[in-house]
Amino acid sequence: MADLVHNLALGFGVAFTPINLMLCLIGALVGTLVGVLPGIGTIATVAMLLPITFGLPPVGALIMLAGIYYGAQYGGSTTSILVNIPGEATSVVTTLDGHQMAKQGRAGPALAIAAIGSFFAGCVATVLIAVLGAPLTKLALAFGPAEYFSLMVLGLIFAVVLAKGSVLKAIAMIAFGILLSMVGSDIETGASRMAFNIPELADGLGFATVAMGVFGFAEIIRNLDAGAAMSRDLVQQKITGLMPTKKDMLEAAPAIGRGTVLGSILGILPGGGAVIASFASYTLEKKIAKDPSRFGRGAIEGVAGPESANNAAAQTSFIPLLTLGIPPNAVMALMVGAMTIHGIVPGPQVMQKQPELVWGMIASMWIGNLMLIIINLPLVGIWVRLLRVPYRLMFPSIVIFCAIGIYSVNNAPVDVILAGAFGLVGYWLIKHDFEPAPMLLGMVLGPLMEENLRRALLISRGDWSVFLTRPLSAVLMATAAALLILAVLPSLRKKRDEVFVEEG
Amino acid sequence: MSDTPSHEAGKSIFPKWIKGPEDFIGGLVLMAFALFALWASRDLQGMHGFSFGAGTAPRMFAGLLLALGFGVMLMGLIFEGPPLQKYHWRGPFFVSLAIVSFAFTIRPLGLVISAFASFMIAALGTEETRWMEAIIVGICLTVGCSLLFPYALGLPFQLFPRFMIQ
Repeated sequence: MADLVHNLALGFGVAFTPINLMLCLIGALVGTLVGVLPGIGTIATVAMLLPITFGLPPVGALIMLAGIYYGAQYGGSTTSILVNIPGEATSVVTTLDGHQMAKQGRAGPALAIAAIGSFFAGCVATVLIAVLGAPLTKLALAFGPAEYFSLMVLGLIFAVVLAKGSVLKAIAMIAFGILLSMVGSDIETGASRMAFNIPELADGLGFATVAMGVFGFAEIIRNLDAGAAMSRDLVQQKITGLMPTKKDMLEAAPAIGRGTVLGSILGILPGGGAVIASFASYTLEKKIAKDPSRFGRGAIEGVAGPESANNAAAQTSFIPLLTLGIPPNAVMALMVGAMTIHGIVPGPQVMQKQPELVWGMIASMWIGNLMLIIINLPLVGIWVRLLRVPYRLMFPSIVIFCAIGIYSVNNAPVDVILAGAFGLVGYWLIKHDFEPAPMLLGMVLGPLMEENLRRALLISRGDWSVFLTRPLSAVLMATAAALLILAVLPSLRKKRDEVFVEEG
Repeated sequence: MSDTPSHEAGKSIFPKWIKGPEDFIGGLVLMAFALFALWASRDLQGMHGFSFGAGTAPRMFAGLLLALGFGVMLMGLIFEGPPLQKYHWRGPFFVSLAIVSFAFTIRPLGLVISAFASFMIAALGTEETRWMEAIIVGICLTVGCSLLFPYALGLPFQLFPRFMIQ
């Protein structure tokens, strides 16, 4: 307990310096600014804005990135509520009731409750990270390569089971992602693999490059299909009365609590994360509501629950990253990329060796959330005006901005071309109903999986049963298998599809 | 995500026995990717003793992808599924062209020319572009980026063509 207070105090000490507060504020602002643009999700936003943190000291850079992350997420909800275009998967459910509320002239309370819910969830998750961080780091020591591998398999299966659409196609996407992660030099032998003697490929495909391609460029190209004059259902009424009424608060409060709990748990699981948390929370709220028919017609719980859940999950997903060094989702993988640029290797050691970095970042997430409440409500008018910019002007700007962003990561023109190529791949994937998110997760976990698989088999002298004979690993594998079986069982499938149909 | 896919109306170019062309083609292309990866990793070292060679894991996962791609293709063959979605050429073509032109001109011509030219090329991606408007926004964006990246963020960008600086 003393440790906990000490750690948090250390963190707030770091985060409350004027310069770091400033960086957090800028990050949150810029993140929201980009996140608000329809069709640009959190992943693309973070990837696009990575370069602006390069010149900063490590702590400052991470604090700013955390701000960008939260800003992007909040910006996504703003777009969902005001325009009915989810900026990204996590805010898909927010469109259901949020946009209805906006249509009824209650956009203000919807936005406010999203921010308040996120803030509350953020507070709880911050404490949770502080509480669980140290013991989980100890658990990490009990993890051998076999356990690591099994844990990642479990994480990937989680992502598959809870992704929408065909289980088989999602697994295929993961395999595709893992395969992509193998381009470049082999970690152990240094042999160049599938790089075709292109020097820029020797280091492997840049994660930011691929993410920008499949999530940034592909999304733009797809939006163009529909014509630049995308029917945008922008709420035209003037937004009056930002603050929710007492009745709103009373209705939303329990939903926020439930969403926070659900999100915190789901966020810790690798491969889980924010998307699932928001869907799960919406389903839960609808199930336990006295009058489920209110949902989809502007029920405030339908905004409060999922928004709290996705923020809690976003925050607790730092736990596997900081304790086990496993990035549980694509955004975290980008964070790893940023840390590596600053010479930090995430994992149990960071917690012990650079506590001010870890706790500073955790504290700054909390501050970032607070800032979002303070800055965003007055700025809603600006976001609305930004949303009125026609897409025909917006998309070339986004293309150029992305191109400059990718180029500046390594000063490599080849990266820009690769991102363009992955844009076309992403476009093709969308056309064939393949989800790009599992592919990216596969790409993120690929190198770690390969390394641990190789080590585990080397230690066991080539005996594959090691994954089933070590107890911890066996439990993880059994859970993964059970999940997979459940997912293909017809009864659960039907239920799962029902959940996802609601977004239509 | 939330929009309904625009399925091509009218007759399918596929024979009747392919029930779900979307999955059928999707699976086939994944198999092609897997075969390409198998070919690309053909001369990497395989297992030696208990330890993996450089090529073991790529071949393993390429094999897995091949099997999964086959599975997806089979599903497309057996189960009724959606037809192929319509592709448009204009958006993908001009956006890709803009990206490629940026990549090729950023080094020799500098940020100003490269960004503006690519902006205009990307703007061709839709027939709804109004040129005056696009030129003005393009200039603003170029000026903004030229201030933001090299000055505000201190990233090493060359603004103007090499021959003009020297």
